[in-house]
Amino acid sequence: MKPKLQTFLFWIVLIGLMVFYFASNRRDSARIVPFGMLETQVQRGEVSSIEIAGSRIRFRSHGSWFEAHGEMTEQMLLELQDIGIEPKYGSSSSDSMFGDSGGIVTLAATAILVFAVLYFIFKMRAGAGGIDLIKLTKSRAQDVTGQNKITFADVGGCHEAKESLGDVIDFLKTPQRWIKLGIRLPRGILLEGPPGSGKTHLARAVAGETGAKFYVVAASEFVELFVGVGASRVRDMFETAAKNSPSIIFIDEIDAIGRRRGSGLGGSHDEREQTLNQLLVCMDGFQHDTRVVVIAATNRPAILDKALLRAGRFDRRIKMPALTNSDRADILKIHTSQKPLGPDVSIQTVAGWTDGMSGADLECLANEAALLAVRRARHESSEPVLRLQDFRDALKPREEQTRLFDQLDSVLIESTSQLSEPTGRAVIRLQLRDGSSVEGTVLWADAVFIKITRPDGSTLLVPKAQVLRLEAAAGTESVTRDQISEDRWSQGRADMA
Amino acid sequence: MDDDFLQRLMLFIPVLLSLTVHEWAHAYAAYKLGDDTAKLLGRLSLNPLVHMDPVGTFLLPLMGVPFGWAKPVPFNPLRLKGVSIRTGILIVAAAGPISNAVIAIASFATLKILLNQADVLGEGEVFLLMFVLQVNVGLCLFNLIPIPPLDGSKIVDGLIPDVARPAWERICQLGPILLMGLILAPLLLHFSPISWAIQHVIRLLPW
Repeated sequence: MKPKLQTFLFWIVLIGLMVFYFASNRRDSARIVPFGMLETQVQRGEVSSIEIAGSRIRFRSHGSWFEAHGEMTEQMLLELQDIGIEPKYGSSSSDSMFGDSGGIVTLAATAILVFAVLYFIFKMRAGAGGIDLIKLTKSRAQDVTGQNKITFADVGGCHEAKESLGDVIDFLKTPQRWIKLGIRLPRGILLEGPPGSGKTHLARAVAGETGAKFYVVAASEFVELFVGVGASRVRDMFETAAKNSPSIIFIDEIDAIGRRRGSGLGGSHDEREQTLNQLLVCMDGFQHDTRVVVIAATNRPAILDKALLRAGRFDRRIKMPALTNSDRADILKIHTSQKPLGPDVSIQTVAGWTDGMSGADLECLANEAALLAVRRARHESSEPVLRLQDFRDALKPREEQTRLFDQLDSVLIESTSQLSEPTGRAVIRLQLRDGSSVEGTVLWADAVFIKITRPDGSTLLVPKAQVLRLEAAAGTESVTRDQISEDRWSQGRADMA
Repeated sequence: MDDDFLQRLMLFIPVLLSLTVHEWAHAYAAYKLGDDTAKLLGRLSLNPLVHMDPVGTFLLPLMGVPFGWAKPVPFNPLRLKGVSIRTGILIVAAAGPISNAVIAIASFATLKILLNQADVLGEGEVFLLMFVLQVNVGLCLFNLIPIPPLDGSKIVDGLIPDVARPAWERICQLGPILLMGLILAPLLLHFSPISWAIQHVIRLLPW
């Protein structure tokens, strides 16, 4: 049903109900009439008798009694006099606009009214761009249970970390066993590791393994313009988590609030400390059988507050290890499991090329390779299959860049060392990325620029990143026409398309 | 459920209708002048649920407190087309009280026809129409009071000459206190300026 029609029907029903109620012979409901009615009656001279008790007025008109509430005005009394009716005055015991009720009710009504007016004004303010205080103190932690559910099988490498977390999982699954033995269970786990090493991924896998509720929050989300908000958000988060236990709270980048206290200049970081204190208290305050585990991640464990790391809080610290060859192979296997691999692809080989890369880098590599495969398949109009060459090409922008700089530097270092020799200077010819070319003798070169003297005597500073091709014409031992690359520099960028 | 409460519930229907129409009129005026903020928020609707405020629209009137409100319709004066911002604010603010005045006039006309036709005093219809008249005159007058955040203050905003503006703005800061005084006056003084005004306006109508 259309909303417009719905609204229309709604009003039809309501108005119908109302008219029916008043029009159906319910005369007694109409015994009380609006004060305006009394006024018109008085004006028309149709009132035959009237009794006034405070603001409650009974009057007789057309043979029946009616009642109205209001204050008689001078003019009305004069009009009554005109038609020769003397009002009878009764006691005004119930002199209140809330009908016949005693003082207590009036008092209560006053209180309600005061409250209502305050509420009204507050609302009006909030409506005009104010802030909803109720919402502000709610934790921003998101319940991501069941979204992209992953398990340990989806986490390559990190065997030690997985083992340590195994206890936690067992605890969340079968707490009785642990409680029976009187073992205090780990409440907090701190994952430490460089960016991209899979801390979040691992925490997610823990939730996936246990089937526990998983709340994700970034520590910076506790910080707000207003003092006290952070602490109340922490409380709110822990309350929610305890209510829905077993659950895991994952606090990302905890160094945002967990920084060592007292490090702020002149105590200017009160609010953050308050938030941290609340977090500490909340972690202590758990009942022993509350199945809530806090996992925090940071890549700067050194700056964390000591109280945060003491036993009973984040007492278990898990370092994300550097990836070994086989770890990387595992991770690549996971990331390529959905992708069609050609027969020539050996994950071991690719893993061998990627020394020093993190999990995130590997994921990116697999994705990039797949992207190249799809692009190639589009050219050849065939089914996309990842070949070993795709992985090599995906790695290339990085490799190529390194190689090129090395080469450039080797020539330049050679030539600058020649500068001290009286025999000659290095003459180079640079072709720049904008198509122009420059020629001259090298004055000096550093990591970013090359300074050359042109044949006409002027000097020129050339950024290395602008160099497309370098020819050493004279003065170096490697006077080779070294073609560096056909537009290899831009490969990385062009591939983004 | 006793009769008293049932009657109150029934009388609540015209109150709800009047409040809804009032808010809708603001939204409609803003929309006609080019600002679709209210429309995008779903407020350009006669559905009372989108305008209601749980306390102001339901709790208080049903408890018998003679005071209530609906959620204010948000409105962006910068999006108005064809009129200056001041005039725009004035028109949008005036639309609410005007809508109540229209309802009041309509119910007065019906009432007059009824009263002239037969002796219907004490009949339910008359009672109902009288009530609708009072409610709408009341809403119209109350909202025309030039105290922020009531509509009247915005109308004054649009009309006031620049010379008087600083003084006016100083008065505006006292708005909530003045408003509270006005609303609490009947309890403290046993005199309600608003019902007094309603009575007098109704008396002035050509019965």
